[in-house]
Amino acid sequence: MTAKNRRTLPFDIINTSILVIVALVCIVPFLYIFFISISDGLYLSSGEVTFFPKGVNLEAYKEVITNPRFNIGTGFRNSAIYTVLGTIIAVVFTYLTAYVLTRPRVKFRFAIMTLFVITWVFEAGIIPQYIAYSSLGFIDNIWVMIIPGAINTQYLIITKAYLEGVPKELEEAAIVDGANDFTIVSRIFVPVTKPIIATIALFNAVSIWNQYLIPQMFLHNSSLKTIQQVLANVIVGATESPFANTMVNGVWLNQENMKAAAIFLAMLPIVCIYPFVQKYFKKGILIGSVKG
Amino acid sequence: MRKKDKSAADGQLMLAKRPLSQRLAKDLILNWRLYVLLLPGLISLVLFKLFPVGGMVIAFQNYSAFLGIRGSEWVGLDNFVRMFQDPYMLTLVKNTVILAILSVICVFPFPVIFSLFLNEVRFRKVKSSVQSVSFLPYFISSAVMVSIMYTILSPTSGIVNVIITKLGGTPTNFMARPEWFRPIYIFLQIWQTLGYNAVIYMAGISSINQELYEAAEVDGCGRWGKMIHVTLPGISTSVITMLIISIGNIFTVDTDRILLLYNASNAATSDVIQSYVYRIAFQSLGFPDYSYGTAVNIVKSLMAFILVIIANKLADKYAETRLF
Repeated sequence: MTAKNRRTLPFDIINTSILVIVALVCIVPFLYIFFISISDGLYLSSGEVTFFPKGVNLEAYKEVITNPRFNIGTGFRNSAIYTVLGTIIAVVFTYLTAYVLTRPRVKFRFAIMTLFVITWVFEAGIIPQYIAYSSLGFIDNIWVMIIPGAINTQYLIITKAYLEGVPKELEEAAIVDGANDFTIVSRIFVPVTKPIIATIALFNAVSIWNQYLIPQMFLHNSSLKTIQQVLANVIVGATESPFANTMVNGVWLNQENMKAAAIFLAMLPIVCIYPFVQKYFKKGILIGSVKG
Repeated sequence: MRKKDKSAADGQLMLAKRPLSQRLAKDLILNWRLYVLLLPGLISLVLFKLFPVGGMVIAFQNYSAFLGIRGSEWVGLDNFVRMFQDPYMLTLVKNTVILAILSVICVFPFPVIFSLFLNEVRFRKVKSSVQSVSFLPYFISSAVMVSIMYTILSPTSGIVNVIITKLGGTPTNFMARPEWFRPIYIFLQIWQTLGYNAVIYMAGISSINQELYEAAEVDGCGRWGKMIHVTLPGISTSVITMLIISIGNIFTVDTDRILLLYNASNAATSDVIQSYVYRIAFQSLGFPDYSYGTAVNIVKSLMAFILVIIANKLADKYAETRLF
């Protein structure tokens, strides 16, 4: 590039400003919710909190987590358990299936992959799914969040595409040394394919944490509900808000405080890990879009 | 690939001449470890993916949960006939298609324009931060996004209505108004997918040959010229692919978002096939009419399936990429 192009022109300033504004629009609603949740309810009701927080405290969080009436603490714990277990199972199932389906020795591997793709593109619909899963005993059963969705066809395709890129020489050398499929997977494939494992683990974790339809269909017992269900119950579905203005530890809690705290809790784990793992998300999307 | 398989199988030529059952048995013994590793996948496929597809036969029955699939009465195409006679079906299909078309037309251009201009940002740090920030909403659940909308748009305490009141207007309950449902849905769609699509376009832009820009400069192209004549054609394949994919997914509205935004007051625009089927199954007052709901869903799935297959063929032909 020539020196002329390196000057900062008015265009650069305007363009950069507009894009920064776009980025702010993307993130300001989250910040706004966060600021409400940590503000003092007294300032909130008097309309003194316009954007930045005032009278910062964490009482709203303490209240919504510990007060059993809201069920938010339980929901958070349940979602955390489902996410951790579900991610482990999903990664193991997806990875092993992808590995086997890349082995030329396996007969019917094209047929199996085709069935995965067809059932992915052609949705059975929620009613047949409900009937099928309930006949398998998945109603009010926490495993509905863990087992049935373990193999997501999209992630299977991504993983398979990645495993096909593992050099054959690595494996051949191991076979000469007497390795079998179990040792090839654990000693050769897993160590050289860590990025794809991280990627599918993260995608699965996010999708389990965020699930709404599946728990709403199958988990009706309030002690099993996920944070997303609880959140939807207290904010979207509620004809009358369960939150009431109260005084806790000398701090006035407005119901808007508590709603905001509930919303922020439902996105907290994702916001916390996002800065550190976004490169894996990008990678996953690009593998999925370039090769399929 | 298939040819390679054949040559790999050449070593087992001896086996190939025996009867099938023997060959399968031998294969199982030889490769038992592989089949053990395949078990979780096979069980998932059969129980959780194929079994529900089999359950679709209830669309041809008068299904009763007590009698089960085997005991229920077969009624042929009655449910489908009923569907085509149901005047409400027209509203549902209209709502579904309008929402889908709007989400292609209104949502699609944003990430393309966003990426073109983001690419022009000189300051590296700003560029990567803007991209990271815009990508975040993609990972936030529909329940949270819709809850945020409820909070911001609340008729009493939401910031939007507070501003409207301060400016002298009357507060609106946006969430209960049919005319506001589509704008809110589309806004959420843009908000959640802008960064995701930008990742794909930015990757396309970064793989454009730098020499093209130098050549364009020699030809007297300025910043705009390079953007229009080099960058845009450089990502045209990705743009076409993404367009084809989004048209293929036209019937796949975001079910979580729809269910959360739907309420009786805005049903005139927000009731789409998915929300209708969901209500039949889980919110009906008497015995849920599972068979009818499944029939409605089958017609939707079939149309969606055909569209996706066509889209995949088109993407393969014009953009040399495939979804699967």
